[in-house]
Amino acid sequence: MKKRVIASVLTVSMLAAALTGCGGNAQTTGETADAQTQTGENGAEVAQAEGNTTASSGELDLSGTTITFWHSMSGVNGEALTTLVDKFNAENEYGITVDAEFEGEYDDAINKLKSSMVGGSGPDLIQVYEIGTRFMIDSGWVIPMQELMDADGYDSANIVPNIAAYYTIDGQLYSMPFNTSTPILYYNKNMFEAAGITEVPTSLEGIGEIADDLVEKGGAGEALSMGIYGWFFEQFICKQGLTYADNDNGRSAAATAVDFDSNGAALKIVSEWKDLYDKGYAPNVGVGGDAGLTDFSAGKAAITLGSTASLKQILNDVNGSFEVGTAYFPSVAADDEGGVSIGGASLWAIENQDEVKAAATWKFVEYLVSAESQAYWATETGYFPVTNDAYNEEVFKSNIEQYPQFQTAIDQLNDTKGEYAGALLSVFPEARQTVQTEIENTLNGRQTPEEAVQKMADTINASIADYNLLNE
Amino acid sequence: MKTVMKMKQRLGAYLFFVPCLTIFALFLFYPFAKTIYLSLYKTDKLGQAKLFVGLGNYAELFTSESFFHSLLVTFIFVAIVVSVSMLLGLITALLVNKNFPGIRVFSTAYALPMAIASSAAALIFEIMLDPTIGIIDKVLGTDINWLHDERYALVCVALLTAWLNSGINYLYFSAGLANIDEAIYERASVDGANEWQKFTRLTLPGLSPILFYTVVVNIILAFQSFGQVKILTEGGPGESTNLIVYSIYRDAFFNFRFGGAAAQSVVLFTMIMILTLIMFKLEKRGVKY
Repeated sequence: MKKRVIASVLTVSMLAAALTGCGGNAQTTGETADAQTQTGENGAEVAQAEGNTTASSGELDLSGTTITFWHSMSGVNGEALTTLVDKFNAENEYGITVDAEFEGEYDDAINKLKSSMVGGSGPDLIQVYEIGTRFMIDSGWVIPMQELMDADGYDSANIVPNIAAYYTIDGQLYSMPFNTSTPILYYNKNMFEAAGITEVPTSLEGIGEIADDLVEKGGAGEALSMGIYGWFFEQFICKQGLTYADNDNGRSAAATAVDFDSNGAALKIVSEWKDLYDKGYAPNVGVGGDAGLTDFSAGKAAITLGSTASLKQILNDVNGSFEVGTAYFPSVAADDEGGVSIGGASLWAIENQDEVKAAATWKFVEYLVSAESQAYWATETGYFPVTNDAYNEEVFKSNIEQYPQFQTAIDQLNDTKGEYAGALLSVFPEARQTVQTEIENTLNGRQTPEEAVQKMADTINASIADYNLLNE
Repeated sequence: MKTVMKMKQRLGAYLFFVPCLTIFALFLFYPFAKTIYLSLYKTDKLGQAKLFVGLGNYAELFTSESFFHSLLVTFIFVAIVVSVSMLLGLITALLVNKNFPGIRVFSTAYALPMAIASSAAALIFEIMLDPTIGIIDKVLGTDINWLHDERYALVCVALLTAWLNSGINYLYFSAGLANIDEAIYERASVDGANEWQKFTRLTLPGLSPILFYTVVVNIILAFQSFGQVKILTEGGPGESTNLIVYSIYRDAFFNFRFGGAAAQSVVLFTMIMILTLIMFKLEKRGVKY
């Protein structure tokens, strides 16, 4: 009998402990929560953390700390990242170990983050695509990168301003850009020469004007191979200098509705796209960022649009069978004024109530954006270096010499003003999908461009309203 | 005393159920109940029930053009997949029912689709169907963008699925054919029956029990096709291959709207259940054992 009583008392107390533990985790701030979660782990670490709370984070003893890093890089990019991580693990002077885990594509990784944060077992650092930015800020799970940078006295001016602009909200850099790309126009120089065209078009209109020449004289199967990709749609809005959503493109506050219907941006894009399609200049080559590349590499299309990060792939596929030229991403009409916004992904530090891990995470991020790492990364993958000093590294310079086409992307980014940083939207992945579906339906003649824009706006606005209602 | 003994015996019997029931409860009943529960709510960004909307999600579904379109597409898809895959399975099974040299090669080949993962097959077909580098357009001398043309995309995905499913049908039918007594064919020959008569009067009735089973299994399999759609078309072009299972996936794991996705799941479940019930009714009339 006595044993039973003791047992049940123990059980109850354990349950209680578990409950308070959960409560502590759920709270994002507050010292009690902090203390409780730490007691739950191991004593030595707690003593260490407490002993150092007063000291600046630069002086924390980081040795023996292991941090978890979730990323979405596979293939060539994955190998390059693994090399960087291995090098850090082998050489860093702090004794930090980074446990890098591939979590599938961007969508999969962010979904896993959602599930794991419910269970309270997220990573310390995660790579999230650019359209997940608003979601990450709203989630309340992150330590703004600015805080970590400031704590360590890192000079934020070192990050390329146009890249930092995208991830800077309310004057704070929320996440560290890591792999950054912009879209550019790729063209088949041989076809342009054969057609006697010396000036590369700067707009969709311009492409329409030379399309017949490219096909008839240049020998192209089609003038433009443009995948139906939401990112391009967003870029065309930026190139018009207009906004995608209200509240300053979702930057001063979470967006409540899209703007592209009322400011006419979307209608202009869809109408021009449909026009090119109807004339046979830009057939439907499929949905997605890479959909247009095959036709180009196979020597069928004279022009394609794609990410800078595709440059290596395109050059590989073309394999010298024709000369590949690059130019700025086109606007819709010739007289549009605007710029491109960046794509790619950035690194987010997750708030795990552990100062030591946060400091270790920063050290790793600092290493990843160092001149040497970024130059290596850019050379291996085709993404931009995100820090200024990386552009002066020998490795990177010789890469530019080898692939002069890459210079276009750098110039394009430098020519863009920070105000065209692009939109932030909590439901961006879904919105992009909607845009793609409606554009495709329009091309297939199921609806007029006007109807398409109306449908896009209605669907996305409903999603935004739902999201804002449910996630306050 | 005797009643107590009996009670104990009975209890023991029920105890044997426990492991099985636990597994069912954990992996079947609980998720099922949770799905119904979620279908009555709108969920937040973590996918947790937040706002009770009653039948709101269902009401939204049944007023949504896109959902009805998705249902229509699914039915067309299932019809193509079931008929073609069963026909393929039956033909291949009949072909190897006779003994001839090299039969093992053929019987392996016909069963092979079963061993191929749908995603792997989809990747291969994606290349084969490509208008620029694909072999199909080259062989046919056409310039059709199979997967990005509304007229062909659904048929392409359906035929791929049919081929994948034909392997298992081939196995079922082979087993069914082996069960038919050879002697009745001999007797039919003596009576002067031709091959076609033998097939319609002897083979098909002999296959009817297994035929019924394969129809049920095929319909359920076809309804659940996912990997092919995800890889080949992602529901496109437009929404022409947006099968209901794919639509559920998108809503749940991409848009994080578990409420709507759960409601669709319940509707799908109800449909398959009704279909299966109807078929069991029909079975009593048509199938001879």
